[in-house]
Amino acid sequence: MTVTTMWEVLADPDPIFTIAEDLFATMIDGEPGHLIRWYGERPAILHPTYTWVDVLGGDQDARVLISMGHDTGDDLARVLFDLEDTDEVPGVDFDDAVGELVNVVGGNVKSLVTHPGALTMPTVSGGMPDMSGLEPIVDACVTWKGSLVCVSLWVFEEKSTTTP
Amino acid sequence: MKALVIDDSRVMRRIVGGILTGVGFDVVEAGDGKEALARLEENDDVQLCCIDWNMPVMTGFEFVVEARKRDEWRDITLMMVTTEGEQNQIVRALAAGAHEYVIKPFTPDVIVDKLQFLGLVEAKETL
Amino acid sequence: MSIAPEAFDFVATLVRQRSAIQLEKGKEYLVESRLAPLARSAGAPNVDAYVRTLRANTGLHDAVVEALTTNETSWFRDISPFNMLRQHVIPELRNQGKRHLKVWSAACSSGQEPYSIAMTVKDHHADLGLSVTATDLSEEVLSKARLGAYSQLEVNRGLPAPVLVKHFVRKGATFEINPQLRDQITFRKHNLLDQPPVGGPFDIVFIRNVLIYFDVATKREVLSKVRRSLAPGGYLFLGAAETTIGIDDSWERVHEGGASVYRPREGK
Repeated sequence: MTVTTMWEVLADPDPIFTIAEDLFATMIDGEPGHLIRWYGERPAILHPTYTWVDVLGGDQDARVLISMGHDTGDDLARVLFDLEDTDEVPGVDFDDAVGELVNVVGGNVKSLVTHPGALTMPTVSGGMPDMSGLEPIVDACVTWKGSLVCVSLWVFEEKSTTTP
Repeated sequence: MKALVIDDSRVMRRIVGGILTGVGFDVVEAGDGKEALARLEENDDVQLCCIDWNMPVMTGFEFVVEARKRDEWRDITLMMVTTEGEQNQIVRALAAGAHEYVIKPFTPDVIVDKLQFLGLVEAKETL
Repeated sequence: MSIAPEAFDFVATLVRQRSAIQLEKGKEYLVESRLAPLARSAGAPNVDAYVRTLRANTGLHDAVVEALTTNETSWFRDISPFNMLRQHVIPELRNQGKRHLKVWSAACSSGQEPYSIAMTVKDHHADLGLSVTATDLSEEVLSKARLGAYSQLEVNRGLPAPVLVKHFVRKGATFEINPQLRDQITFRKHNLLDQPPVGGPFDIVFIRNVLIYFDVATKREVLSKVRRSLAPGGYLFLGAAETTIGIDDSWERVHEGGASVYRPREGK
């Protein structure tokens, strides 16, 4: 089933790219050349990490999902916690850091539509969430220092009965 | 000067707290709105709260509403620092009693500029 | 760390040749801070090392000139001139009997300054009429300024939230200024060394953070053109690091509440 939705204004990846670029420039590093838009087929991510927020209770429920390699998540957490390259990142800090990334991206994405609803708390997992009943709207990948980070937006075919 | 940084993310508390420390604040932290109310009870010298919106237990918006009910806290400056960027969310927060609103992501200058408008940090000359 | 004298001289010469802008001694910090990001992105360990690569690689020169001549503007970030405008300058012009203000915002870049002027008048002197002539050398920034639409990062910076929600409407990724304010502003391409733009004589001229880039003779020439564009009793705003003192003594400085504004001396 194809869902017609307000989120389709985001079917063009440009706004997501801009959000990702602003996020990296302000919170991770603003070094020119570190963050590059990825066009073309998305390669498989080894040892992936997934982090997502749902946007519930508005005109159409949606999910913002970020996927990246676990090592990439470690690197991002080190930047955010100001750790050395060789420092171990405890699991709780890893979840905190990559969860905050999807929180910021999710909030910025939902600001682009009217009556989006509210954000859930982020979830972080080594496994892909159950995506049954969700339709993809857009998938935008960037590379940061050569590592792939993908942001995808999905809509729920059915409206949820619960609000966050 | 003392500031209370309220965010469920430790990373974000570190970032916001670091900016505030850099301009001369002592920083205390809370991970949700309810904990923040408790911190305010313990610290009667807090002048500024930086408040995330989406948090477990009690949201930042609910915290603003609660904090504004308390007469003894009326001089505390409340600044939302949140990923919520819809215009009606900004309007709601200001109407509930927040003085300023910063949308994540932000650079340190954004926070410092707003603290200058609010008179909490001395204005610097810009080129 | 401070930039080496020979590196500074090289950059100053380059910028003067390309843009006629004079970087005098004392502007080392400016070169240092503007070139540091370029040095980092080129993988140079510091600005001095980066400047050494410039001697061999002329392909990098455009970026250097651009970095040193581009102004960042952001709303009320430098709040004191706007307080001065609202609390002293406009009340004084009212006393002179002005009911409609004509303002020139020179080197307005992407429009934050003329819109900030319009917001100030609307919020604090709403009964006054206003026409702003906003000029810049670059057609590119003017076309952005005319749109009056700014990204989230742009409005985050230097725009108080109550002002944002009052005068802007969010449309997707951008915040758009109230069309009533936009209609008070006419954007024009203009070179400061040419005759002043049409729209005057002006009650107030803003020309901030521009003179610092000019040598003394050019500063004097620009100030003289500005003076002729002012209405009697008019005011001039300069940047915080700028002054007419020692350059053109036909101005008197009015200092109030930590900010300065200038007006032509009587009889000059």
